[in-house]
Amino acid sequence: MPRACFKFALVAAVLALAVPAHAELTFSDPWLRAVPPVSPAMAGYVTLNNDGEEPVTITGVSTPAAGHTMLHDMESTGDGSRRMVHLHHLEIPAGESVSLAPGGKHLMLMKLTEVPAPGETVEICFHLKGGKDACTGFPVIRQSQTDG
Amino acid sequence: MRKLPYLLPYLLPLLLAFLLAGCGKQESDLPVNTRLGGEFTLTDQNGEPFSQAALNGKVTILFFGYTHCPDICPAVLARVAQVYRQLQEAGEADQVQPVFITFDPERDTAAHLKEYLPWFKANIIGLTGSLEEIRQVAKQYGVVFIKDQQEQDYLFTHSDYIYLLDDQGRVRKLYPADFTIDEVVNDAKSLL
Repeated sequence: MPRACFKFALVAAVLALAVPAHAELTFSDPWLRAVPPVSPAMAGYVTLNNDGEEPVTITGVSTPAAGHTMLHDMESTGDGSRRMVHLHHLEIPAGESVSLAPGGKHLMLMKLTEVPAPGETVEICFHLKGGKDACTGFPVIRQSQTDG
Repeated sequence: MRKLPYLLPYLLPLLLAFLLAGCGKQESDLPVNTRLGGEFTLTDQNGEPFSQAALNGKVTILFFGYTHCPDICPAVLARVAQVYRQLQEAGEADQVQPVFITFDPERDTAAHLKEYLPWFKANIIGLTGSLEEIRQVAKQYGVVFIKDQQEQDYLFTHSDYIYLLDDQGRVRKLYPADFTIDEVVNDAKSLL
């Protein structure tokens, strides 16, 4: 019996490690906007889907490609200008999606170790409340359909 | 009808003038904005003085931003580059000049602009200068920019209009940052 329990625990542990992302948070259309190789920063966009039954709260973002990564939103100031606002957390209600798109919420990658080129893919991880991470690859795209 | 032969010498020139008018250059119906614009002198990406008068004779697509901007400014540059490419395909890009003016002269030096802008492949002239010079030009074009210190760096709160200038340097139209490529292309062509 102890051997069976041990095997069961081992299989469960392996399966848990094999899950690549948080079961409730999925990603649609992730991409990074390509920028010149001398750029100090670049923006990332994606639709975050909460397929679960509980809200998901993102508390931070990181990537090996940048020394500092932040979630930002844009707000209008009423005089025709807009400013970026650091989002310290982002909650996605159960069953809903939040879109990070040009001109709105977006990822800001700063202190780039090396500017990734168009065609490359950069892994970015979203740190969730509760301690888990959800990661996915962001392809670097020079021209998006949203630019048209 | 009896009078028609006598009227012909007067009517024929009028008719000819009317027909010839249709063959000439069609004036754009974009109104001239008399509140914005004006002459200025800044420093180009080669470190040389650059006068707005140097743009006369070409249609100018003018916009303001800074290279540390991750979202709006690169998006605008990418869209302007698309406009330029469409005009290139139409054989008309040599009459159009994109111009980028930074409001972050501290980091956007002439040397940095010279490295940054060619990547967009749109023959963009980059202009910098002293903060006072840039503030003056921004005021002429109704541009708002405010330094915003963040945790790791500073960003800018700023307006993000794109300006279309005719070959006399007059502002003819403003566009939002998410402008339609075809609209700007067609408007630029109407000024050629």
